[in-house]
Amino acid sequence: MHIHLTGIHKRFGSTLANDGVDLEIRPGQVLALLGENGAGKSTLMKILYGFYTLDQGQIEIDGQPMVMHSPRAAIAHGIGMVFQQFNLIPALTVLENLLLAYPKSPWWHWGNHHLQAKVLARLRDLAPDLDPGLRVDQLAVGQQQLLELIKVLNLEARCIILDEPTSVLTPTEAERLWGLIRQLAQQGRAVVLITHKLEDVAACADRVVVMRAGKVVHQRDLSNPDRGSLSPMLKADLIEMMMGHEVTAALPRTSPLDTGSPLLQVRGLYLQDPATGMSLSDINLEIQPGEILGLAGVAGNGQPLLAEALAGIRSLHAGEILVQGQPLHPGSLVRSQVAYIPENPLQHGVAPDLDLATNLALHQVRTLPFWPRWRRQINRATVLLHDFDVRPPHPHKVASQLSGGNLQKLIIARELSGDPLLIVACYPTMGLDAAATQAVYEHLFRHAQQGSAVLWISEELDDLMRYAHRVAVISKGHIVGIQATPQASRQQLGRWMAGVAG
Amino acid sequence: MIARWLPGSTLRIPLLTGLGILSVFILLSSLFLLAIGQSPLTIFSSMLEAAFGDDYAWSETLVKTTPILFCALAVALPAKLGLISVGGEGQLHLGALVGTGILLLWPDGPGWLLLPLVLLGGAVGGAIWGGIPGWLRARWTVNETLSTLMLNYVGMQWVRFVVYGPWKDPANLGWPATIQFPATAKLPFLAGSRVHGGLFIAVGMALLLYVLYRWSRWGLSLRIMQSNPPLAMQVGLKYPFHVLLVMALAGSLAGLAGITETAMIQGRLQVGISNGFGLSGFLVAWLAGNSLLGVIPMSLLIGGILAAGDALQLFAKLPSSVAIVLQGILFVSVLCVGSDASLLMLGNKHMGDKVR
Repeated sequence: MHIHLTGIHKRFGSTLANDGVDLEIRPGQVLALLGENGAGKSTLMKILYGFYTLDQGQIEIDGQPMVMHSPRAAIAHGIGMVFQQFNLIPALTVLENLLLAYPKSPWWHWGNHHLQAKVLARLRDLAPDLDPGLRVDQLAVGQQQLLELIKVLNLEARCIILDEPTSVLTPTEAERLWGLIRQLAQQGRAVVLITHKLEDVAACADRVVVMRAGKVVHQRDLSNPDRGSLSPMLKADLIEMMMGHEVTAALPRTSPLDTGSPLLQVRGLYLQDPATGMSLSDINLEIQPGEILGLAGVAGNGQPLLAEALAGIRSLHAGEILVQGQPLHPGSLVRSQVAYIPENPLQHGVAPDLDLATNLALHQVRTLPFWPRWRRQINRATVLLHDFDVRPPHPHKVASQLSGGNLQKLIIARELSGDPLLIVACYPTMGLDAAATQAVYEHLFRHAQQGSAVLWISEELDDLMRYAHRVAVISKGHIVGIQATPQASRQQLGRWMAGVAG
Repeated sequence: MIARWLPGSTLRIPLLTGLGILSVFILLSSLFLLAIGQSPLTIFSSMLEAAFGDDYAWSETLVKTTPILFCALAVALPAKLGLISVGGEGQLHLGALVGTGILLLWPDGPGWLLLPLVLLGGAVGGAIWGGIPGWLRARWTVNETLSTLMLNYVGMQWVRFVVYGPWKDPANLGWPATIQFPATAKLPFLAGSRVHGGLFIAVGMALLLYVLYRWSRWGLSLRIMQSNPPLAMQVGLKYPFHVLLVMALAGSLAGLAGITETAMIQGRLQVGISNGFGLSGFLVAWLAGNSLLGVIPMSLLIGGILAAGDALQLFAKLPSSVAIVLQGILFVSVLCVGSDASLLMLGNKHMGDKVR
């Protein structure tokens, strides 16, 4: 099945998610759709799958123009998609889930042995070790994903889209999936692999298309020898293209204060997160007062964990963090002087169903009088909301009703309205438009100017190089290298990010 | 929330929901009454009469309202931390047990000291029975719904054990009950009726908890912990401690229901002091959306239905279980109309206008 997408436009509110995208999907090939979060890859594929309707553009299958009204239409045309969130019924068995999702499968197919045999045969073929009698809630994530994939294959899909499939998998599970993807392509199916990981590209792609900010910025065929190990040069190139060059008005560059003693010292930090299995090993960092240390890295290499450690909300397994010589840990006094802008603000940064005034007063909750003066809190909130341009500026609005950008501004208003010694900002401009990004930068840099130490985790390599004084690169939970910025080389940073030593 | 009390919130959805619940309830219960060969209109009007018709009806309704209100608070308070406690029944029994135990230790103490000690004993007994699941939840994340449910049976069996065994009053000629509560260990009654001071304690507790939840720093901490527990820990709130505290407080309220019911209404500790008040309290809290003020009128309503059920049994020769069925139908009506899904349909426009 040969699919051509031409001139696809899709707008959500004020953001242009797809801006005139052309894409060719060839049968018998694995296409890796590579890009950072928010680059528009998932949107593009959800348009093909009929999940979103396109604003402009054309979809052609084998030369025939098609309109995808709904996923049902897409499935009828042989397109199947495995989403990041699984669509399985945990209380039913593997076999029952497969039967349920079989085309035209109402409940009376339960006793249909012919059908069961067919489904079981396919299951044995693709996943011989998966027991069809097991309940889905007893399966590992990788097995559940496999089940989703088999469901799609049962619909006789000839083009299979996988949305960030390896992001939830362990390395062994990922290897197995890569093998399966190769197998599907060899059977003549077209496979689209949405990913932001170069490993996925290296392991199984025939062709890679890089998207950034809603556009295709690069595409190339990968010859067989490429596969398995991309050359360091190619990796660095791809990363650079993913990260891109955001064009924002230049802000003045600040300069670190020269006091001789570092404000933040991290020595021999070891930490493992039992929930995700992510670990940090032997992290050593120093940040001077007034210095902005940028932290670059491919997503999923331990950035949020490091941010939480440096924000003092994680207990370390080994090592120490000193802020002005005082140890920083979850119970320490100096924590009140650390501002923390977390990744995913709705989940980590606010009490979503409480109002803005409460959310702005979170850090005072233990020092307020037993009968707080609410009027004073509301007045304080009104001023902060106005100063930090949170819209709408109503203290009684519930936090979950704010858009992403305004939520971020709310957290910045809470964290940066005081005089923090240390600021830890984890992807502070993720999902923000240019103006909001600019505003966040201004607040960060203002504090740096006044002598705060700033750790700035970002995917905007250009901005890191422009505004941070040094850029450190994290890979697999380890700081691989640090360069001072005006002279830093993008190629070197890119190589470090790709996990190439030296 | 800090600014919720400022004008601007809408009443449209609660009103629509209320009307919907009422119509579904009338429809379903009419069907039920027709099915057992009664005229719905007659039964409804005689029930209304029996619950709220005259002074006596009111007093009997308020007698039932008192323990239900305590037990409803014992559910609504943990709900403020997102905890679902169904342990009112067991906590009520433990409250009755410990309160009675204090009386037995010192049956002829002076009223000014004995009465407060007996009430305190009731509260402490309930607090222990609520605190155990609270501690299990805080320390080992044991599901509080299951542990409170199980402890109900244990609590009831404890009472059974003492009234059949060590605490049985030989003067009762084999009837399993303790000695009578002396007048010194009783709260005052309201002008010749069976309505006792416990009602005022219960209403006072509801108001106090409401004010604390709404206006105090403690209430603010509870709201933050319910909304985002990890974040609450980050800003230094001790979530496990508050789980224990809230569960113990809730237990003490149900314990007060137990000791006041035992001392004032039954007059002595015996099996069957509860009449299902713990579960009615759960129902009330649920009907009131766990609102600390809303449980007051809801308890009155359910108290009225139960009192009317007793009256139906006497006058209309209907089994009193009719009232229990009607209570169940009310619950079902709320589930049908008041669930999130139907709220969403009614309030689609309202809920959809997220600020962009």
